[in-house]
Amino acid sequence: MNTPIRRLAFVLLAVLGIVVLNLTYLQAVAADRYRDDVRNPRVAADRSATERGPIVSREGIVLAQSTPDPRSAQDFIRSYPEGELYAHTVGYSSLLFGDRGVEDVYGAALSSGSDLTISGIIDTLLGREQGAEGVRLTISHPIQQAAARTLNGQAGSIVAIEPATGEILAMYSSPGFDPNVLLGTSPTAGDALAADPQEPLRNRATNQILAPGSSFKLIATAAALESGTANPDTAYPDLLELPLPGSTSVIRNADRDVCGDGVSVTLATAFRRSCNTVFGQVGIDVGAELLGETAAAFGFGDEIPFDLAVVPSVFPTELLLGDPAATAQSAIGQRDVQAGTLQMASVAATIVNDGVVMRPYLVSERFDRDLNILEQERPVELRRAISPGTAAVLVDLMQDAVANGTGRAAQVESLTVGGKTGTAQVPGAAPHAWFVGFAASEDGAIAVAVAVENGGTAGEAATGGSVAAPMARQVFEAWRAER
Amino acid sequence: MSRNAEAALLVGAAILAALGTAIVTAAGGDRPDAQTALTFIIMLAAFGSLHLAFRQWAAEASPYLLPIAALLTAVGLVEIFRLDARAASLQRWWLLIAAGLGIAVLFLLKRLGIEALLRYRYLFLAGALILFLLPLLPSSWPLGGVEVNGSRLWLQLRVFDTTVVRFQPAELAKVLLVIFLASYLASRHRALSTMTRRLGPLSMPEPRQLFPLAAAWALSLVVLVYQRDLGASLLLLALFASMLYAASGRLSYPLVGAGLFVAGAVIAAQVFDHVQRRFDAWIRPWDDFADSGFQIAQSLFALGSGSLTGSGLGLGRPDFIPSATTDFVFSAVAEETGLAGSLAVVAAYALLVAVGFGIALRARDPYRKLLAAGLTAAIAIQAILIIGGVTRLLPLTGITLPFMSYGGSSLVANVIAIVILARLSHEIGNSASPSSLAVASQLRGKGNAK
Repeated sequence: MNTPIRRLAFVLLAVLGIVVLNLTYLQAVAADRYRDDVRNPRVAADRSATERGPIVSREGIVLAQSTPDPRSAQDFIRSYPEGELYAHTVGYSSLLFGDRGVEDVYGAALSSGSDLTISGIIDTLLGREQGAEGVRLTISHPIQQAAARTLNGQAGSIVAIEPATGEILAMYSSPGFDPNVLLGTSPTAGDALAADPQEPLRNRATNQILAPGSSFKLIATAAALESGTANPDTAYPDLLELPLPGSTSVIRNADRDVCGDGVSVTLATAFRRSCNTVFGQVGIDVGAELLGETAAAFGFGDEIPFDLAVVPSVFPTELLLGDPAATAQSAIGQRDVQAGTLQMASVAATIVNDGVVMRPYLVSERFDRDLNILEQERPVELRRAISPGTAAVLVDLMQDAVANGTGRAAQVESLTVGGKTGTAQVPGAAPHAWFVGFAASEDGAIAVAVAVENGGTAGEAATGGSVAAPMARQVFEAWRAER
Repeated sequence: MSRNAEAALLVGAAILAALGTAIVTAAGGDRPDAQTALTFIIMLAAFGSLHLAFRQWAAEASPYLLPIAALLTAVGLVEIFRLDARAASLQRWWLLIAAGLGIAVLFLLKRLGIEALLRYRYLFLAGALILFLLPLLPSSWPLGGVEVNGSRLWLQLRVFDTTVVRFQPAELAKVLLVIFLASYLASRHRALSTMTRRLGPLSMPEPRQLFPLAAAWALSLVVLVYQRDLGASLLLLALFASMLYAASGRLSYPLVGAGLFVAGAVIAAQVFDHVQRRFDAWIRPWDDFADSGFQIAQSLFALGSGSLTGSGLGLGRPDFIPSATTDFVFSAVAEETGLAGSLAVVAAYALLVAVGFGIALRARDPYRKLLAAGLTAAIAIQAILIIGGVTRLLPLTGITLPFMSYGGSSLVANVIAIVILARLSHEIGNSASPSSLAVASQLRGKGNAK
């Protein structure tokens, strides 16, 4: 009977050996996969046991906070009291959907006070409690609210910048979402948002580029003025249709009429009335290369250095060389020209700032638990895009367009308002409505870009002047009320 | 090794339990308190008194048995304390009760001899069957079954609608059944190993000799279907097959037994939803993560989070594991002590297999051989089933991990099994101080007894 007993012992020991191999696989080879699985409740517990610092608006309104979990002494609950209003800028820190926005970019500072500065290391060595750092945004709450209110759920975005510093005063993308629904351990709400064809999760202010239409005439005009090709009084033939060289197509004005008296028209009048026939000719005269250089000087083609990632705007110079027809269409912001809302707001800010491009920024300071400022952001001049003279002429032209031309709906009493509208034709869909402009008082200014995708609720009838300009006015009024 | 070395190892196990309790307390931010002292004292009292009883009534017994049991009990006590201090204090009481019952059993074995067990074998069979089926009593009765986690394994005694005690009678039934099978098979092992019939490619003994196999198969299916307990069912069947094989040396018994069980389980899976769910959760746990796959997934998360060296006692989150003090106590230990700790636990069971089967090999008659092999196999199979279950090597089943899981019935039954093994090894006589080398050579060499 000993032989079967011995074999039985060997079988049991062999099975225990398999148990050992399996344990070794689970705890050594595949351990990380199980440890880091988002469904592992330890991952969520580690997160909730980490206090994140607050994110506040310019005025100190709390946009993101960690509050003690009433159910568990050492845990915290992250929440976004303003919800949808700052969904894309503040972003979220979600177990299931990752980190976005300021929550992502400033995640290290927000989640722990231990920084790698000398004083931070000394504090750590001395065992001083550092606590999580807070972050203050440059965004002004009332202006952000005005932007959200006026877009009212229509697909599009609004960016407002303080021209002298580059501080972002408002950055709103629509449609939005409530970031609080992404925080739990249930993916249902987040999956629905990710699958929504309206793309509510996308920050349209930084991650979407659209044909700028006539708002690009700001850059065509800047190129013409800067190169001496034209000045405001330069007269152009007032045509019903501009024939394009080497092409059968023509450029017409939006109303399919002449711009002025049908004989001759100045650049100033053409800017005020946004006449495509004239600016097509300006584009041909200036040439693709110079247009491209001017666009690049304003920031086209490069990722704008910003707190959040930005999709670069596009001016395809190489495609246009030796193609005056395409160059003419590009000069009025059609064909392959594409611009982001932040980029166009920066164009307006640069013009108001005498031609100097300021680095746009969203975070003004980091502060510790006792509200001591740890690090303060300073305005940074990136480069000069255009001469002060050119900038001054553009400011005058833009004021004229709001006072007497296509941008009338942006006018605000007691402020100096200027701007350029854009109605970008989209093949097979309603046009994008743009307004790129500024408002100024004796002691300051605000630059704004409004982009409404496919005309918003106005649809085919939308123009930059009828849809986007009134939205800019709402933003200007909110800014005025704050002063 | 001597009894003195055994005593030293038992003190070591008590220190381990106390140290673990202190570390857990400190990890929680408190100073080690009376719990630490109490754990030390009770470990020492329980295993010390067993040790003294061994000196008295089983002086020649293998000195490995008690230290292995004490080590596993200590690790279990620490982890139970870490998860549920109230359960740990109950478990300490159970440990004292188990030690007391173990000493009583040892005394009876000394007075009446191992042969006494032979005499009452049908009493043991009846007892085992009744214990197995007791949880099927209506739960409204004062003494009735109760369903926990979908399995009807528990028996509870209630007085005036207050649950006085809960007991898993299958644990004790397991020991009784091994005693019965050992004596039954010992008297019949020649008949069972004589193949007189042929059925296709298989040699068969006389059909009436197959009765116990058929009975075992039937009992395991009854347990599977009515108590919804895949674990006890698998344990029963594997135990029957192992002991039949040990008695007869015929591989056809375990093969036919396994085949019958698989056939029965497949049919049961078709007919009974809860069996199907168990298998689905085993094969595809991530498909139904929120529901049937939840438990095993939590166990795997714990194992992975523990990694090589573990989170440290009291520093992991085994509280996320369901039933962490009972079915999943191994996962909790593996999370907090890592692969190092989990392999140490498996090694302890492997050592117990070596010692137990060493006793079986050197026992002087078939009855004693089968009894020692059966008791060892029962503990080993149970450990394999539940460790394999929580590591997804086998379908997850709701049985306890011997010596480690919280639960009085399990502790009592396994201590009694150890005591019987000790008495068996004592009876082998003077040669019963085997070094581990001797055990190994016994396992490797051609046995001299037949």
